[in-house]
Amino acid sequence: MVAFVTRRLIFAVGTVLAACVISFLLVHATPGSPGAVVAGAGATKAQIAAANHQLGWDRPLVSQFWTWFSNAVRGNLGVSLINGTNIKSDLSTRLPVTASIALFATVVSGMAGIVVGVTAAVRGGRVDHAVSLGSGVGLSLPTFWVGIVLVYLLSIRAHLLPATGYVPFSVSPAGYVKSLLLPVLALAVAGAAIIARTARTGMVAALQQEHIRTLQAIGTPPWRIRYIHALRFASVPVVSVLGVQFIALFGGSIIIEQLFAMPGLGQATQLAIGSHDFPAIQGVVVIATIVVVLTILVLDIAVAALDPRVRTA
Amino acid sequence: MSVIPLEGLTEPTTRTGDLRRRLRALRTPGGIFGISWLLFLLIASLTAPLWIPYQVGQQALTHALSGPTGAHWLGTDALGRDVLSRIFAAAWISVGPALLAVLVAFGIGIPLALLAAEHGHRLERFTSRGTEVLLALPGTVIILAVIGAIGINPWAIMVFLGVLLSAPVYRVLLGVAQSIRKRLYVDAARVNGLGSLAVNAKYVLPGMATIVAVQAAQLFGIAILIEAGLAFIGFGPQVPSPSWGGLIADASKNVFNAPWLMVPTGVVLALTVIAANELADAIAGETNRGTPAHRKGRATAAARTPAPATRADVLLEVSDLTVSVADGPVLVSDVSFAVQSGRVLGLVGESGCGKTMTARSLLGLLPDGVAVTGGSIWFEGRDLVGLSERQLRPVRGRQVALISQEPMVALDPLFSVAHQLIGPIRRLRGAGRREARTIAADLLRQVGIVDVRRVLHSYPHQLSGGMAQRVCIALALTGQPKLLVADEPTTALDVTVQAEILSLLRVLVQDTGLSVIVVSHDLGVVADLCDDVAVMYAGQIVESGTATDVLERPRHPYTAALLGANPHVPENTPVPARLVSIPGTVPAPGNWPGGCRFASRCPFATDECAQPIPLTAEHGDGSVRCIHPVSAATAGALNNHDHPKPITGVSS
Repeated sequence: MVAFVTRRLIFAVGTVLAACVISFLLVHATPGSPGAVVAGAGATKAQIAAANHQLGWDRPLVSQFWTWFSNAVRGNLGVSLINGTNIKSDLSTRLPVTASIALFATVVSGMAGIVVGVTAAVRGGRVDHAVSLGSGVGLSLPTFWVGIVLVYLLSIRAHLLPATGYVPFSVSPAGYVKSLLLPVLALAVAGAAIIARTARTGMVAALQQEHIRTLQAIGTPPWRIRYIHALRFASVPVVSVLGVQFIALFGGSIIIEQLFAMPGLGQATQLAIGSHDFPAIQGVVVIATIVVVLTILVLDIAVAALDPRVRTA
Repeated sequence: MSVIPLEGLTEPTTRTGDLRRRLRALRTPGGIFGISWLLFLLIASLTAPLWIPYQVGQQALTHALSGPTGAHWLGTDALGRDVLSRIFAAAWISVGPALLAVLVAFGIGIPLALLAAEHGHRLERFTSRGTEVLLALPGTVIILAVIGAIGINPWAIMVFLGVLLSAPVYRVLLGVAQSIRKRLYVDAARVNGLGSLAVNAKYVLPGMATIVAVQAAQLFGIAILIEAGLAFIGFGPQVPSPSWGGLIADASKNVFNAPWLMVPTGVVLALTVIAANELADAIAGETNRGTPAHRKGRATAAARTPAPATRADVLLEVSDLTVSVADGPVLVSDVSFAVQSGRVLGLVGESGCGKTMTARSLLGLLPDGVAVTGGSIWFEGRDLVGLSERQLRPVRGRQVALISQEPMVALDPLFSVAHQLIGPIRRLRGAGRREARTIAADLLRQVGIVDVRRVLHSYPHQLSGGMAQRVCIALALTGQPKLLVADEPTTALDVTVQAEILSLLRVLVQDTGLSVIVVSHDLGVVADLCDDVAVMYAGQIVESGTATDVLERPRHPYTAALLGANPHVPENTPVPARLVSIPGTVPAPGNWPGGCRFASRCPFATDECAQPIPLTAEHGDGSVRCIHPVSAATAGALNNHDHPKPITGVSS
């Protein structure tokens, strides 16, 4: 198990490193330069060059990367070219927003998807047919479109929830939950559909396993067979997909934040790209990669905990 | 990778098959819908400039935000522009780049997978690590950063998306390519000098075709969604060019006063993705949508047969047992046999003779859709046929237990041996946790396991086949059953291990007075272990009696032929020139003749054998179903080496 975790950790560090290099190269491939952003519109070439020199943009790429990287390792992601705010502290207020949306969306879609999928597998027949059809439609719906429909139904028509805005947990826990509900539900529709399909397939496959017959042959009660043995067997693929879902919903949240005016990473990314805020773009890519890589790490460990064949292999 | 639902790309459950056959399978409602909508969309998007009723930018502020009208079928937007025209004018910039992304993903993924599969470990490790990193990058953010670098150009963005998507494509296709290359006929072709290009073109690529088609459809849907998402947040085609994501963003601004505007674009976009996914499902052959409800096809035995007047020492008496597929053929017909306390009965025959179905019906564990449709199974004074699942549960484990064919898959891979033994011990023996642990250790010792502590802590995958079978036997003994049904208990094991398991079963019978039914095609097992034998052929019992009688003086030509096909030669006997094989195969259920079912393979068959043949008394208490039974004089026609004591028969 220790060797297993070590292997995965090395992979995680490697991936973050790759993201650092990729974002660095992308930023340097971008037309324009930070000097032009800092000097503002109408600056002369000499003014831009001076600004670039001050920012170190004219130094060799390797040395620039090293400076940025050694700062980043120490937790310093630099300051925004636009307003001079510290990028790390800006992103650390934004990350909880995006992470909350993605996490709750994963939890909601996981719970709904597992219940629906397992029911479809156990009941079969018409229930199964309906779930197949419904999940096929659910996973094809664009989340931002679902989001607008939910705003229309739950905010505009029913006045149940605020249409936009974010309330931090520290300000008002109830407000926090209310402000997250719409984006979470919008993302959870497709998520639940995918989890339901995985859970159904996994459960059907689990119930056909030979060891299930062994359990039947010694008179094990059906609930035990279904919800302890078969469900655990089916949970291995479900947990893998749940982790992938978290990553997918994290990205989906970036798209959907605009609709709900949530001050998350999505907004930061859009602003940074729109204003050519080079260090901010790099910062977002690195933070997002760290989140994804940590998720994959937790996921690997969870699967290993569930499946001794992975753990002891 | 962010918005990309990768799990859609997990390897489809299909086998690599003939794509043409798959395409025929597209004639499902989902497949027809998928193909028609995508074709319609493609044609409509390419020809849009020719037929859309209004110019894309043509405004009519007096008709702004109208719902569907005769002039504007799908209504108008905030500037009075025709929604129908805008949706189809925007179709190509949605469909085209998405197709490009799919092409790029396969353009990279397929060659990489072929190369990695061909050049083995060194290259494969490199490419696989690379794609793993690609998969672990936050796709949406990276794409946004790329947009920052190259500007907003849907085609270029989709090329980059294709690069990201090539990672999951590569992963799935690599597995497929590797498994195809491992096939024997591909190996043979390579040994015969077929070049690597030719191998790929002739075997690997066609073998991947189905999965590529499934993936292509799924990726197309994913690419459309991502593209629309980007356009929705303003990174799509720029104003005044319409795009689907942009149209939805416009609609979201008017959702207060014109909610209708949401519908047309949303429906077209959703229909396109649904069509792609339906098409993928149809190609993958997931027609099993809606499995039959799990109704247990349990028998309503035609007429309650009265309890047979059995002798006191008879534990199980099966009479006229018939097992059939629901609305299908009969698998086991009118089988009768009895098992006495402390005796071992062997059920023998080739594969497909109904032995396993007979054995499983004793526990009510027939597969879905198969049921007992007649006869009775009297066990300890009651008929097990017709009992509900609830009534059968106390019988299973406590009265009748099962040892299955494949010990390696008969134990739950996710639980330790201790866990799998202690649960049933607590339930079946009412023991506490600590006591159950002691009993578990005792049981393992009883089945001949020495290293009890280690085995208790092991998971099934850490056990050898023989060890796993011992654990299975221990599990079967937890409820102290009176009857053990062993379905081919040694078939999956090595020869040396087989002997150990057989001697274990023999010891258990001696020590505990257990009755056992051994299902086997191996006459050696039967000769070794059984007191009584029932030979089955095509769902019927053709001969029964004590093991000595049946094996030494077989009367039915089938039994004699099975013995003749025996590859083991007893000591001091000359090795025969060649073994006799039984010509032909067991007729499939549903194709059984009205008369003797063995007649077509029998050297003694005559016209009279076309009549139904009854069982006649033979071997003392036993029986035979033959009107031309084998005698010492005719045996030579079947056996080219006549040794009295067969050890093993061959079949299946």
